[in-house]
Amino acid sequence: MSTIVALSTPRGRGALAVIRLSGPDAIAIARRMGLHEVEDRRAALTSLVRPRDNEKLDQALVTCFHAPHSLTGEDVVEISCHGSPAVIRNVVDTTLELGADLAGPGEFTLRALSNGKINLAQAEAIRDLIAAQTDAAVKQASRQLSGELSNALAPLKERLVEVIVVLESALEFVEDDLPAFRAQEIEKELVDVSAGVEKLACTYAAGRLLQEGIQIAIAGRPNVGKSSLFNSLVERERAIVTDIPGTTRDTLSEAIDLEGIPVIFTDTAGVRETTDGIETLGIERTRRAIGDSDLILVVLDGSTELGPSDHDLLNQTAHTRRLVVRNKSDLPEFNASTSCIAELQPINVSARTGEGLATLRSAILSRLNNNGIDEGSLLITNARHYDLLCNAQRELVEARAALRVKHSEEVVLAPLHNALRFMGQITGETTTEDILSEIFATFCIGK
Amino acid sequence: MSFDEVFDVIVIGAGHAGCEAASAAARLGAQTGLITLNLDLIGQMSCNPAIGGIAKGHLVREIDALGGIMGRVIDRTGIQFRLLNRSRGPAVQSPRAQADRMRYRAEMRRTLEATSNLHLRQGKVVDFVLDHGKLAGVVLEDGRRFGSQAVVVATGTFLNGLIHTGRRTYSGGRAGEPAAIELSEALKRLGFPVGRLKTGTPPRLDGRTIDWSAFEPQPGDQIPVPFSFATDSLEQKQINCYIGYTTEQVHDTIRANIAESPLYSGKIKGVGPRYCPSIEDKVVKFSDKSRHQLFLEPEGHDTNEVYLNGFSTSLPAEMQQDLVRMIPGLEETRIIRPGYAIEYDFVDPRELGPDLQTARVPGLFHAGQINGTTGYEEAACQGLLAGINAALYTQRRESLRLRREESYIGVLVEDLIKQGVDEPYRIFTSRAEYRLALRYDNADERLERYGRELGLVGDSDWNRFNARQERLAELRTALDNVRLRRADAQHAAVSGLVGSDLGDSISLSQLAKRPKVTADLIASLLPADLKPVAETDLNSVLADSLYAGYLDTQRAAVAKLYQHDTLKIPRQTAFRSIAGLSNEIVERLDRAQPLTFGEARRLPGLTPGALSTLLAYLSAEQKSF
Repeated sequence: MSTIVALSTPRGRGALAVIRLSGPDAIAIARRMGLHEVEDRRAALTSLVRPRDNEKLDQALVTCFHAPHSLTGEDVVEISCHGSPAVIRNVVDTTLELGADLAGPGEFTLRALSNGKINLAQAEAIRDLIAAQTDAAVKQASRQLSGELSNALAPLKERLVEVIVVLESALEFVEDDLPAFRAQEIEKELVDVSAGVEKLACTYAAGRLLQEGIQIAIAGRPNVGKSSLFNSLVERERAIVTDIPGTTRDTLSEAIDLEGIPVIFTDTAGVRETTDGIETLGIERTRRAIGDSDLILVVLDGSTELGPSDHDLLNQTAHTRRLVVRNKSDLPEFNASTSCIAELQPINVSARTGEGLATLRSAILSRLNNNGIDEGSLLITNARHYDLLCNAQRELVEARAALRVKHSEEVVLAPLHNALRFMGQITGETTTEDILSEIFATFCIGK
Repeated sequence: MSFDEVFDVIVIGAGHAGCEAASAAARLGAQTGLITLNLDLIGQMSCNPAIGGIAKGHLVREIDALGGIMGRVIDRTGIQFRLLNRSRGPAVQSPRAQADRMRYRAEMRRTLEATSNLHLRQGKVVDFVLDHGKLAGVVLEDGRRFGSQAVVVATGTFLNGLIHTGRRTYSGGRAGEPAAIELSEALKRLGFPVGRLKTGTPPRLDGRTIDWSAFEPQPGDQIPVPFSFATDSLEQKQINCYIGYTTEQVHDTIRANIAESPLYSGKIKGVGPRYCPSIEDKVVKFSDKSRHQLFLEPEGHDTNEVYLNGFSTSLPAEMQQDLVRMIPGLEETRIIRPGYAIEYDFVDPRELGPDLQTARVPGLFHAGQINGTTGYEEAACQGLLAGINAALYTQRRESLRLRREESYIGVLVEDLIKQGVDEPYRIFTSRAEYRLALRYDNADERLERYGRELGLVGDSDWNRFNARQERLAELRTALDNVRLRRADAQHAAVSGLVGSDLGDSISLSQLAKRPKVTADLIASLLPADLKPVAETDLNSVLADSLYAGYLDTQRAAVAKLYQHDTLKIPRQTAFRSIAGLSNEIVERLDRAQPLTFGEARRLPGLTPGALSTLLAYLSAEQKSF
């Protein structure tokens, strides 16, 4: 196991900065930098030096946390030094010279998890927070951290428990004078509960997009201005733009934050028949990028007639999610009324002047909102939760089928208990004791 | 050490747990002393004169399959048999019977006296004799000392029993019988954590003073289902029970006098069973109910005593008399014995291993209400297990442990020893995760071989069991292979009954899963050489196939969800040192000392967050070893 180092306080100038080392060599590295006092949890004023040239780096407070009683469960050293960027850089660089590795994103969390210092649910939420690329994704992750998913699921689970209570009571207390239940009412409850579970599960499509980013491919025949459009959309001179058709040989991706939603634009090589080996490879990648994307921007050159390659691409993408974009609206040759594609509702833009880009962005956003990405509602972003909800949903469907063919209660209950177990993995398990308590609170049981 | 008499196994108490324990131990070859306060009250039914019921009937069948005696005794003395839940699936059907209370006692005593190696002794055990921390014998109140390596304590409500009626309180184990106070002190001296529980019983009425015409008769089954796999026919003449109801007047009177009830005056500290509430509890907690159901259960052929089931109470005796007379049909009725509440000591069952032996004192076993359970059947199955294991312990043989996947007994024992009790524990079918697999009719298939291997199942029972298994196998093959074809005469009629065309050819086992297809119909389609088919055989085979799919799905779901259950928790794990666990969770874990993640998962109050913390810790621990 390596020893990792990272600045734990925010970057930039501050009065103090905390640099954290974690791993088997953490204390040894601190010793070589001048630490004498290694007692557990005792801050020691230390003159930090760089052993390479005995350069004095800073006067710092250094605290050792011995394994396993530390944040990560490993030996941890915390160096509180002065918050100047130069000092911080020197201290971190020195630890690297002495064998530490720069910590990757979330690596402290990962070590804490594997050493049992935090739980899986916390780690999952922390991981989502770290991985979140945009405000909207951060909001979703923190909503889940605060238990909003459990809260959304809890009323559904309560209703499921109520159904189970009624059916179990009918089985267990046949000699008690219990009110007869109506299968239709039970059926209606189960329809509602499974609709609720299904609705939550369905938000995963959007939630996943929010977590992982929405892939948008920019496609078109060579020299329609895809790379120019790409650069305008990502607001950086990222792709090389020339007048030579086929300049873009490889796909190129850039993530941006489009009003809170993470979007990854991919510039692709223009699709045409070619004998150039490298270009052929690029075109193959283009096809793959188009296949993998959530949305395709089909770019046409509005200053020329549509060629066979344009028509091919329009045909190929006819059944996918796409937006048709007519570029070069700034040119005098631009013919805004090309009637043959009017029905595709093309968006006219000029990558060069920026004209029409705002319209294009809002068209992209409205497509995404149709996807269900709406900041107002809770989205499932975790594949495990999605899997559990799908399983619960399947069991609820099974129970309804058993109820419809008038199977006895114990048969209907078997899938209902399964569904409850699956939901319990998200919101907390419901024990037999819980169900019995509910029965005794609901019905007057017992001779 | 000198003893007046030396046995291999001593059983204290001759109730439903003690009788099974003594019978099993003796038949396993252990010289067994059964010590009871009163030899005339062996196998006494302290509360209602009935055996079985949902899940409880399953337990009796399991006891029978293992070679226990309760099923045979009730079959010989039962005066009304009913299979409950007949309208539901086979997994939740369960036999129940009213007993002739006196004949049950007599038959139980006869059975025990006919058992070799079994020695009945009357007396009161007041202390244990230990030798180097291990059990060596017991001391009686009259000074006698009995030696034995193993002792089964099955003292029921006698352990420090305290009886309440109205404001009157007196020490007793049952109405009119002394409590075992010294034994409770002895257990405390050994360091056992002792708690307090409560139960109650209704008044017994003089049947000659009841207007029976005011009640609805509840007859037994036309074709009674016995408890024992060995029983072919019943001996006792069958009787009716009767159903009646309380009135608002009864409820109002109870509410007006609730301060007279020791349950509500604060005198009773012990926790009572929620599923067996007193009439006081019923009218207070469910005040919107205008009437509560009552059962009039005759106590036997040779007595006028009638048990007023549903009217458990600890109100003053004279008030009980007034209340009973407010019930339509009981206007002239006289009470023979008033109802009462009883508080008694129990020992935390988490002291026990799966063999029901205490970890604290090797050789000491606990069975029945001392472990916090309620019910004759719950007591009997523990008695059987404790008696078997006490004998095996003295014979240095491997103990018998039953798993919850294979038996209700396994469910009960695991629940007790892992989770403890905070109210009297009763078995329910919903406590069994694999309820669909644990049927009353397949208890033999699940457990008989254990009884045989131990030596409790004799040759004739074993032959009967094997013959039945062969018949079932033959039937299974027939149901899979015999097909109903379009050319067959019955095809059109059966299609019409089912409501859809059955296709060109369908096996009988597939046909049986269709709605509206009864066992009788399937029986009529079987080839002539298999007939006549015993109804119970056909039902068992059809039940297997009815539930097979659901059980597979459930096993898959459970395997998926609980894949970490086998992860071991090292014995010396310091839960307090696991960061992220709250104090409350740490205390729960420390108390229960789970040995696997699965055991921890089933503990009450463990949150998903706590469980994932524990899981992450255990995974990391396992990696480091």
